[in-house]
Amino acid sequence: MNERFEDPRLTAHVLGELDPEATRELEALLADDAELRRELESIRETTALLEQELGGDSGLGLGEARRRAIREALPKPAPAVVRPKRRRWVGFSLAAALPLLLVGASMLTMTRTKTDEKDRAAPLSTWAASGAFALDESLGARGVLSGKLGRKGDDGRPQDFDTESYDKFDENPFVRVAVDPRSTFSVDVDTASYSLVRRFLVQDGKLPPKGAVRIEELVNYFSYAYPQPASGELFTVSTEVSSAPWASDHRLVRIGIKAKDLDMAARPPSNLVFLIDTSGSMDAPNKLPLLKSAFRMLVEKLDGRDSVAIVTYAGSSGLVLPPTRGDQRAEILGALDRLEAGGSTNGGSGIELAYAEAAQGFVKGGTNRVILATDGDFNVGVTSQSDLVDLVQSKAKGGVFLSVLGFGMGNFKDSTLEKLADKGNGNYAYIDDLAEARKVMVEQGAGTLVTVAKDVKIQVELNPAKVEAFRLIGYENRVLGHQDFNDDKKDAGEIGAGHTVTALYELVPAGGKVPGAGVDDLKYQAPRAPSPAAGAGELMTIKLRYKLPEGEVSRLLELPVRDGRAPIAEASADFRFAAAVASFGMLLRDSPNKGRASYADTVELAKGAIGEGRDQALRRELVQLVEKAERLGGR
Amino acid sequence: MAAPEAPDARRDFVTRALARFEQPLLRYAASLVGRLHAPDVVQDTFVALCKAEPGEVEGHLAAWLFRVCKNRALDQRRRSGRLAELENEDDMESPDSGPASRVERAQALDRVERALGSLNEQQRQVVLLKFSAGLKYQEIAEAMQLSASNVGFILHTAVNAIRRELGETEPVLREARSLP
Repeated sequence: MNERFEDPRLTAHVLGELDPEATRELEALLADDAELRRELESIRETTALLEQELGGDSGLGLGEARRRAIREALPKPAPAVVRPKRRRWVGFSLAAALPLLLVGASMLTMTRTKTDEKDRAAPLSTWAASGAFALDESLGARGVLSGKLGRKGDDGRPQDFDTESYDKFDENPFVRVAVDPRSTFSVDVDTASYSLVRRFLVQDGKLPPKGAVRIEELVNYFSYAYPQPASGELFTVSTEVSSAPWASDHRLVRIGIKAKDLDMAARPPSNLVFLIDTSGSMDAPNKLPLLKSAFRMLVEKLDGRDSVAIVTYAGSSGLVLPPTRGDQRAEILGALDRLEAGGSTNGGSGIELAYAEAAQGFVKGGTNRVILATDGDFNVGVTSQSDLVDLVQSKAKGGVFLSVLGFGMGNFKDSTLEKLADKGNGNYAYIDDLAEARKVMVEQGAGTLVTVAKDVKIQVELNPAKVEAFRLIGYENRVLGHQDFNDDKKDAGEIGAGHTVTALYELVPAGGKVPGAGVDDLKYQAPRAPSPAAGAGELMTIKLRYKLPEGEVSRLLELPVRDGRAPIAEASADFRFAAAVASFGMLLRDSPNKGRASYADTVELAKGAIGEGRDQALRRELVQLVEKAERLGGR
Repeated sequence: MAAPEAPDARRDFVTRALARFEQPLLRYAASLVGRLHAPDVVQDTFVALCKAEPGEVEGHLAAWLFRVCKNRALDQRRRSGRLAELENEDDMESPDSGPASRVERAQALDRVERALGSLNEQQRQVVLLKFSAGLKYQEIAEAMQLSASNVGFILHTAVNAIRRELGETEPVLREARSLP
């Protein structure tokens, strides 16, 4: 390696750190040395890249609770001094109060000014020179108050209240097999609940509201090593049975579905419309800038087969980018970069415009999708929520699906977004930071883009000879009527390329004690007699119906499940880990069914099941989240 | 400062410090203790700023913030049971602070973060103070208790290492060729 390239003056020169004499010396060297000049240029490129990548927002943030804690730590203002003369007194106390008011107001309404690269590099010495506690206008504060001390509503005025909403729901109870031997539900691959929980625990430093905790989404956040489909197969279904860690006399059945991975070369073309919320409330580092980064990652995966259009909805909704071929990256990324937040939300007409664009560019046999990115603040004005849901549902029937990406906090409408993605046949993810954006858009981007099977439903029949009662863990929002299973007109969830789906059943073995109040025996019917099949030693039979993405008639798969009586210690790492995640979810919800679950046990269980797979780092992160919840005074 | 400082001045000061340094400190903390614990550490840092004596901080806010942040981060690491860090601030190369593991790097956000993962902790700290916090060499020197020329050397080495990782250039001796 050439020694003159090791000269630290090169980098110092690029960064403007050399004094005049050293600069002259270096420039003399550079004048005669073309190679050295090229080296310098290369260093310049690298430092520019580093400034750009590291100087921007990381997607990390201090949530509102933390800012409050910081404010609490400030010294309390001294009481106003009382002056002897009455008139003076009034004047003085007003004058004393005003700065406090002003400061208080300014803390709540720091407005975001345009970032100026120059501002970011404002030298510290200027600040120091004017005294540590003096106001310094020249500092510019990077032009940005990254993360605010108060929140802005759509009209730019501060909001002091939390308008997030999470639907509360009761968990699925234990059901006696003698009363109802069937369980029917729609498959779901949403992962938003996990990142929401993470955001509460990490950025806000508090426990999440129970309504935000959907156990099946926590479990489904992770990938599991289910058998890969062979060529020609769309997906595989596999099961594993062991004991429930929180109730050792109960059995736990894990059902796993693995969809085939995408063959990137042979993937179908995508017709995508990004429907982006650019209302005033999106003006925060963890919203619009993070959203742009996320979409950038997706755009990098597209090519000439694909088409992208961008529609915004705020005040007046608009077509920011007409359908553009996927390889015109500069145009697409340019349009993304130019998006700015402002105006109030009118989600309704933006959605209609987005669907219109998608319809115009409809690709038969391809993926047609509207991807909605928002903080959920639907000030829809004309359109009601149920009208929106109906619209989304009818468009999905016509082949244009809707996926939803949630961002931000403070006015996040989890319940609305989940419903829209559900009816829109798409998945719903909550993006709390850049790493999550990468997971959703890149690692699992194939699943967002390409549907392998739609209207996927599961119906399980339990064997009374082996099972006294059962409980489906999670999926409360996905439960279907039993007759919906065979009704092809009833919508259900879809599975994207490469996705895995996991469902857990907790079983009370035959003869065991069933938690909860029982149901009276029927007066007009005798208890059912078991059929010969009940003697075959099966725990249950799983039936699965699905349709091809463009199909209208469902296909049926059937799979019996036996219990190998393996104790939990012998179960696979994937099984134990999924059980640990479910246990974590039940603890967060303070579930009536959590049995003997504890945070400490859950940590041990999870730690022992991290395994060697690709999502080790994510699994370790879960362990930390469990520990965090415990410290926050979890029950 | 002789006169007692007005509480409003302190409030303003902290507000501006937050605006200027929240992101760089979060990034820095995340490089030490991971994304999950970074907000805790940074919150503690700003709480400490609220309570600090003016004399401590005046004139070298960045150095103070990053030093406190690092200390809190080290506390956090000790609490979570990782290897004890060396107390000597001059030597950041404790066994646990080397290049990020292959798995962690594979999970890194983007190629720049991956490239950062190949640096040792001292190099990472200098890079973040320069490109994330926008500090000058002298300020970095103060924050890390090194000489400015040390900083220049570390930064140059780090930038070269990053270039190699990004594959932008081969640092081998190029054949001398006559070019127009």
